[in-house]
Amino acid sequence: MILLTAVALTALAFYYVFHVPEQAAPAPEKSRVTFLQERKEVVYENLRDLNFEFKAGKFPPADYERMKASLEQEAALILAEIAELDAVRASSPEARKGQRN
Amino acid sequence: MSSLGSFALLLALSLAAYCFLAGLWALSRRESGSELLVETARRAGIASFGMVALASAILVVAAFRNDFSIAYILHHSNRALPLPYKFAVLWSGQEGSLLFWSLLLSAYGLVLRLRYRTDERLFAYASTVIAAVQSFFLLLLNFAARPFAATPGQPGSDGNGLNPLLQYPEMVIHPPMLYLGYIGFTVPFAFALGALAMRYPGERWIHITRRWTMVTWAFLTCGIFLGAHWAYYVLGWGGYWGWDPVENASLLPWLTGTAFLHSVMMQEKRGMLKTWNMWLIFSTFLLAIFGTFLTRSGVVNSVHAFAQSSIGDWFVAFLAVTLAACIFFYAKNRAHLRSEHRLESLVSRESSFLFNNLVLLVACFAVLWGTLFPVISEWVEGHKVTVGPPFFNKVMVPIGLFLLFLTAVGPLLAWGKTSFSSLRQNFLWPASGAMAIGVLLVATPPAWGAPFGMRPWQHISYFYSLMAAMLGTLVVLTVISEFLRGGRVIAAKTARGLPLSMVQLARRNTRRYGGYIVHFGVALVFIGILGSALNRDAEKEMSFGDSLALGPYNLVCRSYTQEETPNYSANIAIMDVLRDGRQVDTLYPESRFYAATEQPQHVPAVRSTLREDLYVVYEGQNPETGRPIIKAHLNPLVSWIWIGILVMASGTILALVPNRVAAPAALAAKQGADAQMHPAPVGAGD
Repeated sequence: MILLTAVALTALAFYYVFHVPEQAAPAPEKSRVTFLQERKEVVYENLRDLNFEFKAGKFPPADYERMKASLEQEAALILAEIAELDAVRASSPEARKGQRN
Repeated sequence: MSSLGSFALLLALSLAAYCFLAGLWALSRRESGSELLVETARRAGIASFGMVALASAILVVAAFRNDFSIAYILHHSNRALPLPYKFAVLWSGQEGSLLFWSLLLSAYGLVLRLRYRTDERLFAYASTVIAAVQSFFLLLLNFAARPFAATPGQPGSDGNGLNPLLQYPEMVIHPPMLYLGYIGFTVPFAFALGALAMRYPGERWIHITRRWTMVTWAFLTCGIFLGAHWAYYVLGWGGYWGWDPVENASLLPWLTGTAFLHSVMMQEKRGMLKTWNMWLIFSTFLLAIFGTFLTRSGVVNSVHAFAQSSIGDWFVAFLAVTLAACIFFYAKNRAHLRSEHRLESLVSRESSFLFNNLVLLVACFAVLWGTLFPVISEWVEGHKVTVGPPFFNKVMVPIGLFLLFLTAVGPLLAWGKTSFSSLRQNFLWPASGAMAIGVLLVATPPAWGAPFGMRPWQHISYFYSLMAAMLGTLVVLTVISEFLRGGRVIAAKTARGLPLSMVQLARRNTRRYGGYIVHFGVALVFIGILGSALNRDAEKEMSFGDSLALGPYNLVCRSYTQEETPNYSANIAIMDVLRDGRQVDTLYPESRFYAATEQPQHVPAVRSTLREDLYVVYEGQNPETGRPIIKAHLNPLVSWIWIGILVMASGTILALVPNRVAAPAALAAKQGADAQMHPAPVGAGD
């Protein structure tokens, strides 16, 4: 009885592991643009937090302006790089082919 | 049944090993078709959970059926053992607890493998790392600590029974909590090592593991404090923390894990401390394994430790291989961990996180040193030099107070740099409140109650208690000020009342405000601990009608009685508790004798109030006079520790709740922010 159960368990495990029902698609690689979009979201969240904390009276105006300028500069750099990469992607042969279709 | 259990464990090992090797092969080669191999590896990982669950179920059923042909059941159970404790048999011995450990690890792996669509490649790496850890524990279970090993010879009609110290309701919860905490750190570790190995771009792996880490930390925190609560109510020595090596072992990953939880925010928000965080989570995982090694190898003596065994060598080898893998991937990909920002000022939120991390690491090192010193001294000098509570208290109390100070200060500092006017603006009234409490505690007459009338110049412990009270107040006031300030902004915008606005505030940024509630709980715990400087005790041989005075209480012995159960026999003292001449309670301390294990056990009786605990122990009979001995402890403020833990747990639960979706107006503002690169007007991080 135990032997039969053991054989059944092994067969079940083999079936489950190796019977992959459909062709597994390759997982996409994370692109630089995706990374920059994530980074942009973080900087925006930091800006929103800063704005809220300023309204809550945690920082004097001078500190707030300094921190805001620093974060906005960081956001600007990220946006510029995203725009640059988008432009490169738009001018790539695959993108042009896609536009023609 | 035991053969089936052994077979399930062997199959689980094969599946976990396949998951690891196939995953490693596919991810390192990245050839066409490797996706299929990754998928089969994922499925093998899932199937391994099924096999470990089956083996665990068989062991529990064997305990319920009193199957003493399995040596483990014979040694850790008996027929008269109450049913709930038969579940606890699973983790009450070396082999069973390793099986339970494997079960929890497989369960974590199962959840991870089922959620792989979040980021398939990253999850495949993490799954491979977890499979490696699973394989190690399954190797142990198959070859070094076999839970289904047969009883040599003819099994007896009854078992040896469960350790009496474990026959307590909390023992059914404490080890699983602690294990969930220990093992849970495998998940962030696996993601961190995976992200480093694949040079994962960005910090999203931290975002993915944030909840895992918080849940794990919460389990470990609850596990540690349940252990302290158990020690307080079961061991009968009147305290809750004895700096025992096994207690310390649980504290080590908690300290580095707490440091990681804080510093990882700097990586998420500012792209800083990437290398530091990577090594913090590596250290946390290694310390969790190291703690397991200490508990199970017999290297240190402890009431909590398992018997001496040979599995210590396996753990040493595993620790060495894991450390080597961490060093290898760090050396190979360290350029990937460059910081995006530098520390601008020493007075900033970044620096407060950094100090917090350094202090936590110093604390970790001190605990590690004190725990290992007896082993090191024996190795170097040939005899054990014991390091007791005085060493730990001397070192850890100032460290704890500094941490409490940072807990109060950190949230009020700005990212980047904090100006003097900002400091003044934020600290004025919390600091004034803390000073006022300090003055109150020193200036009021001692007759008003235990915590009052402190004289910090009389003894260092009074000074520490006073500092803990002041800093605890500072933390509480800074948390309140954060809620009030944020609530006022929401109230002004939504025209709601302040209490409702504060609730809305917490729901908009659960992580931050949940974190503040955790800080509030930490302050309560410290306030509870400060009471230990004022502990008192008294001991007396007591016959009927005798009384014992302790502080405001008078204990009067009403009578003694006996109780017989199939599991134990007990002598019980019936003590009336009088305060100001009026009876306020009756306590029943017990002295038990467990038949199966032939071990005595004192069960203290505790009258607990917010002000103090009256803790009474029936210590047995004086062999010379034959009179019963009663020992009573008066422990001020202990309840605040347990309340603080509940507050900490509530804060963690709040932090785990997803932020409430922003209102349409805020969403529109967010879109505007995307377009104009300006922040939304009200956010609290939403």
